[in-house]
Amino acid sequence: MNSPDSLRSPVKNARGLGSARSGVHHFIVQRATAVALLFLTVYLVVLLVSLIGADYSQARAAVGHPCNAVLLVAFLLAMFWHGKLGLQVVIEDYVHTPGRALACQLVVVFACALAALASVLAVIRIALGA
Amino acid sequence: MSAYKIQTHEFDMVVVGAGGAGLRATFGLAAKGLKTVCITKVFPTRSHTVAAQGGISAALGNMGEDDWRYHYFDTIKGSDWLGDQDAIEYMCKEAPAAIIELEHYGVPFSRTDEGKIYQRPFGGMTTKYGEGPPAERTCAAADRTGHAMLHTLYQQALAHDAQFMIEYFALDLIWDSSGACCGVLALDMAEGTLHLFRGQGTVLATGGYGRAYFSATSAHTCTGDGGGLALRSGLAMQDMEFVQFHPTGIYGAGCLITEGVRGEGGILRNSSGERFMERYAPHYKDLASRDVVSRSMTIEIREGRGVGEHKDHLLLDLTHLGPEVIHEKLPGIAESARIFANVDVSRQPIPVLPTVHYNMGGIPTNYHGEVVQRAGDNPDHVVPGLYAIGEAACVSVHGANRLGSNSLLDLVVFGRSVANRCAQTIKPGAAQRKLADDACDKALANLDRLRNANGNTPTAAIRLNMQRTMQSDAAVFRTSKTLLEGCRKMAEVFASFEDVKVSDRSLVWNSDLIETYELQNLLYNAVATITSAEQRKESRGAHAHEDFPERDDANWQKHTLVKVDEKGKASFEFRPVHMFTLTDDVGVVPPKKRVY
Amino acid sequence: MAEFALPKNSRIQPGKRFPAKPGAQKVREFRVYRWNPDDGANPRIDTYEIDLGSCGPMVLDALIKIKNEIDPTLTFRRSCREGICGSCAMNIDGTNTLACTKAIDDCSGGGVPIYPLPHMAVVKDLVPDLTHFYAQYASIKPWLRTQSAPPAKERLQSKQDRARLDGLYECILCACCSTSCPSYWWNGDRYLGPAILLQAYRWIADSRDEDTGDRLDQLEDPFRLYRCHTIMNCARTCPKGLNPAKAIAEIKKLMVERRT
Repeated sequence: MNSPDSLRSPVKNARGLGSARSGVHHFIVQRATAVALLFLTVYLVVLLVSLIGADYSQARAAVGHPCNAVLLVAFLLAMFWHGKLGLQVVIEDYVHTPGRALACQLVVVFACALAALASVLAVIRIALGA
Repeated sequence: MSAYKIQTHEFDMVVVGAGGAGLRATFGLAAKGLKTVCITKVFPTRSHTVAAQGGISAALGNMGEDDWRYHYFDTIKGSDWLGDQDAIEYMCKEAPAAIIELEHYGVPFSRTDEGKIYQRPFGGMTTKYGEGPPAERTCAAADRTGHAMLHTLYQQALAHDAQFMIEYFALDLIWDSSGACCGVLALDMAEGTLHLFRGQGTVLATGGYGRAYFSATSAHTCTGDGGGLALRSGLAMQDMEFVQFHPTGIYGAGCLITEGVRGEGGILRNSSGERFMERYAPHYKDLASRDVVSRSMTIEIREGRGVGEHKDHLLLDLTHLGPEVIHEKLPGIAESARIFANVDVSRQPIPVLPTVHYNMGGIPTNYHGEVVQRAGDNPDHVVPGLYAIGEAACVSVHGANRLGSNSLLDLVVFGRSVANRCAQTIKPGAAQRKLADDACDKALANLDRLRNANGNTPTAAIRLNMQRTMQSDAAVFRTSKTLLEGCRKMAEVFASFEDVKVSDRSLVWNSDLIETYELQNLLYNAVATITSAEQRKESRGAHAHEDFPERDDANWQKHTLVKVDEKGKASFEFRPVHMFTLTDDVGVVPPKKRVY
Repeated sequence: MAEFALPKNSRIQPGKRFPAKPGAQKVREFRVYRWNPDDGANPRIDTYEIDLGSCGPMVLDALIKIKNEIDPTLTFRRSCREGICGSCAMNIDGTNTLACTKAIDDCSGGGVPIYPLPHMAVVKDLVPDLTHFYAQYASIKPWLRTQSAPPAKERLQSKQDRARLDGLYECILCACCSTSCPSYWWNGDRYLGPAILLQAYRWIADSRDEDTGDRLDQLEDPFRLYRCHTIMNCARTCPKGLNPAKAIAEIKKLMVERRT
């Protein structure tokens, strides 16, 4: 039996739904967040190393320092954004059932957004001394 | 024969073959509003045009003084006065416009400093009617001109939404009772189904039959299918004795090394390192025409000045050109030489040998691409509904010897010409000719026989016998003795086809069956070639007859027409060479001695 | 989801063995993938022993020898036998390449495994179905597109601009690169793949073409272009020594350039 695809013209299959005319934004942001993470990860490692042996209140004070708080929030945003973009690509690569692909994409967006919000809120709370 | 189901498709024009000529005709016809289909046994960019290297000739004068009349003169002289001068005038005059058209289509030609199309010297291309310096006339895209052109032509076919039937093999031409061609019966190789493509006109653009020989620069697919179709239909072929040996095929592998190498300054040398072409062609040396160079090389080898263990080949030296010229102008042959001869061309010469390259002969046509036959006293009777172009055809612009870079020109000029002609003579959507119920029976009987052939000799064995016979008995130099012997042996080989064995019984992609069809086509072409050679008692162009070493214009300045019947028996007629021109722009060139 | 195991009817069975004739000097084994849709059987690997003393140097020579002398049913595409037509692309000794330019001596020791191009539907034996690949080629409108009227003579092009086409126009559409690309394996229905993207860039890079913007528009798509993850199999496998990955990178660069 012929599959529906095999009865359509090859050009119909090749053209598909046409160009989405997007993707370069994803490309740029993925690289921009990657560059940001390069620096921010170094910063984070330095911060964590400096906290070796520190107790809870010292660590909390360090996070609460305005400079650290800003950079930590930047790190968290960049990381989750970058992570979302990366996971999006993985799903695009490997999940081919349309409904399932959409569901996976939504889960990733929600999970990354929630995780980002929660972690950023935590930093802000510490910074503002709540 | 009702066991075979045939699907019929109706078109205005059916083109068989998707090489340079077939593609140019296909989209040319489509652009004229004719409903056109192109049937091809390989995907278009796999056609053998892709392997052309050196370039395409046209008197653009980008690199120095040139004139299409010089080109006209050179082509006639190259043809050894067997070319039809009206057709040669047409081709050379149309050439500059054809090249500009190709450039506008996007062919990535190499460029001069001013940004114009780069042109290089080529064998037999001269200025001032053979008196001036070599002409720089051959337009090149490095040494991949055929590749660049074929891809561009296919792209234009896509741009014109031309319709292709890819991997369909043409089995036989279909005729009505009045002797008009009505289309072609084809096999869909992927599914094994039969399709009758009806057309008001059928264009054969199937290329040459180099594979009739054991060693050829031609692709495995160059099996003269158009010639086979025509001969099996009882049509005559023209000038089949003229088979061009390219001077520089790689020794052993047979792959082509372009004449452009010599155009860029490469030199042929013998065992003592001598530039031997100086002795044979004092003026143009290595850039004499191909038949002259191939003969000179054969003489060198015969007289013991060959190189290698068996002293059976010669050397093409381009070490003095320098890596820059090689990189910019000849990258492809550097690659080929490395792969197939294990040679670094910037440091070592390439081992070369004259190798079968091109068939000047083919289906006789006029300069419109319409197939002509001799009918009684009329040597130019047009066969209704049938056209031929490219190497499959014999217009004849190449006569007894083609000049390098004139074949790519032939493809586009006459591919275009046939489209223009049909635009005038064929009405889009007009009724098809009436076909008798049994019109396909002969073709089906042949199919049935070959599909179920269960003899004792496999296709490959018969093919090898044919190739060895042609290689030894219809070579660069021929004698009455070798030719008679060759005719006898070819008759035996032809007869042995009755005993062919096809092993693959499947319908899907049965390449065993296709190769058997191709062998059948090759056999008809081979018999036509060797018998035509046997009967021509003179030497002219590529036909060098040692028992008749001189050209004999009084008796033999005429085209051979050969028919081959089902038993492989050949019969001959002749057509006069057109010693007239189309316009007064140029005069007839009378025969004279051919010296380079 | 992506499937990681072969379906039952695609699992390869052991096949027939064709030993060399007695007295053969230099024998080499060729293990060739065989599948005929007519007989309903699973694919198999047939083993042919070839005497290299009476065989040409290339893998294609061995395949032709098998077809001519041992098994005429073996099916594969071939034409020019000099690496310019792109017909005989297949997977030899684990790499996509042209059988006609792959020397037998260059294959690693033992039997030489020969398969059709990976991850394509097989028509028969070593013949893959390239219909979709060709349709993708047509979909990028691969011809010179201009708005200004053509001049009476050739369009002028500087040597430098012409040199930008080197490494691009030589592509022979053999599909070795695209069928070596994991991204093309997973998403070949929508991803154009390295060969077609190289062809697309060939026109973007052509100084005579006036439709660069539209060409970029048509490519700017998460699937058509951005499935390229710079795996680089394409550049490694190209039998003509071209670098499709670089062409793709150039396209991506232009995409950014026209935004900045």
